Amino acid sequence: MDFQGIHDRLLANGAPGLLGVDEPRQPDPEDKKDKGRFGDAFVLVDPAHLAGFLQVCRDDEALNFEILADLTATDPAVDDENLWVNVALLSVKHRHRLAIKSLLPKAAPSLPSTTPVYRASQWHERECAEMFGITFEGHPDPRNILLPDDWLGHPLRKDYEFPKEYHGISCE
Amino acid sequence: MSDRPTAAQLLEARVQDAKVVGSGEKEFSFDVRTQDMEINFGPQHPATHGVMRVLMRTDGELVTGAQPHLGYLHRCAEKIGENVEWLQYLPYTDRYDYLAAMNNNLGYSMAVEAVMGIEIPRRAEMLRVICVELNRIGSHLIAFGTYGLDIGAFTPFFYAFREREWMMALFEKICGARLTYSYIRIGGVFNDAPPGWLEEVALFCDTFEQKWPEYYALLMENQIFVKRTANVGIIPEAMAYDFGLTGPMLRGSGVDFDLRRDMPYSIYGEIAKDKAFDVPVARGEKGTLGDCWDRTWVRMVEMMESVKIVRWCLAHIEEGPVLGELPKTLRVPPGEAYVGIENPRGELGHYVVSGGDKVGVRVRVRGPSFVNLAVLEELLPGSLVGDAIAIIGSTDIVVGETDR
Repeated sequence: MDFQGIHDRLLANGAPGLLGVDEPRQPDPEDKKDKGRFGDAFVLVDPAHLAGFLQVCRDDEALNFEILADLTATDPAVDDENLWVNVALLSVKHRHRLAIKSLLPKAAPSLPSTTPVYRASQWHERECAEMFGITFEGHPDPRNILLPDDWLGHPLRKDYEFPKEYHGISCE
Repeated sequence: MSDRPTAAQLLEARVQDAKVVGSGEKEFSFDVRTQDMEINFGPQHPATHGVMRVLMRTDGELVTGAQPHLGYLHRCAEKIGENVEWLQYLPYTDRYDYLAAMNNNLGYSMAVEAVMGIEIPRRAEMLRVICVELNRIGSHLIAFGTYGLDIGAFTPFFYAFREREWMMALFEKICGARLTYSYIRIGGVFNDAPPGWLEEVALFCDTFEQKWPEYYALLMENQIFVKRTANVGIIPEAMAYDFGLTGPMLRGSGVDFDLRRDMPYSIYGEIAKDKAFDVPVARGEKGTLGDCWDRTWVRMVEMMESVKIVRWCLAHIEEGPVLGELPKTLRVPPGEAYVGIENPRGELGHYVVSGGDKVGVRVRVRGPSFVNLAVLEELLPGSLVGDAIAIIGSTDIVVGETDR
């Protein structure tokens, strides 16, 4: 199924938290500052309902996304109010993909864990938590995964300050 | 079927034998009383294929709990991606899965190209696929060689390295490097193949085809190897989906899915249309479907399929440019894309976000080893300590990629 078909199916199913779509577009020739938007189309989903949304994607027969390929986050800019949570789904049966984006306010970066839907997201969420400071409520094992347990700060945030030393080891 | 009881059966027998003593605790009717023991496996251990640590809780010979600890090789690849220019990031991609650096180059280049929306010259696509498939052969050679080494079969390792050496010499001729190539780059490939190189690749294919039955006989049909791997570490299809397994791990559980054939990228669509290669899917030949033997079998047979793909490319390659014309300082238009390709270990995904500048906003790497490793938490409990090595080895991880 193509992106439009998937989106129609999600609308027909009343998938929880579906806010809209973002599709690539060519730059507006009249507006010189507009550079357009390229790449993939994705659906926008309310982070509070992300787990329920994924469940619909997984269980619906026409969508049948068996595999959560990726779950990650993005900090678009220092002065941006939101973090993005990006999910990539893959269907083996129907051979299609879906990209999902949730905007998460930096003031309260917290959303329910999607681990009950896909076990695959368990490690991805641990990585997001340590790298971006996102809290996944109800995560079964919320430890650091790549960073040491006593690491300060969230390295993939754009306003992250590089440490000057770590346990007496100079980093400069 | 093997006549040896499975770990689950042993555990069940244990529970059956136990009798409840006065305090309500269960006591096992064994002559030696056992107690839970925590074993620290790694980070410096030859069977972890790098620096990975697994904390195992054991009850005698049975593993009752396992917790992988990663991060010993974390080099902040994603943070570096936000701080260097698009082209400068390319050498860093070599360093996550260092056994399949060509594939990493391809995955990253294709993700950036997806945002830029550029076409690649046809000869470059051919050279890309030849290099990627040769690298897949090299990677699987290591996979089965070191897997044999892990569980006590020393000889196949030397056979595997003999052919891999030739493969690396081929890469050295085309790009000057033996392990970290940076050969496939945004817009095409770095340079054209030197004179005689394609002929040597054809010779390599012929030789490899003759040698391959040796490996198969040495390892896959070896009764000791079969006893160690068949019916061990079984991943059912549902579990493979739940954990997001891809590549040989998924096909080892009997799922007929290969991104190269089913969601083709580059010129794989044409190759699949010609039915030039098959996708090996495990059938549970020596034991239960989804066991360690099946996963190794998939990797073993895939090498021959890669040879077929290389042959197809050699037959269809034409003269032409190998690198599109790109400005020296690359500015990628604003946008974002997720591109997943079939790496030797599974789906290598790159999610790139550009703000229209010469430096990226986000370069996310979805390493297949990282995802495939997560299954250990589920797979190890209930197995024997000796089988734990066989199970870890069969996931074929590269720690450079789990930690990035």
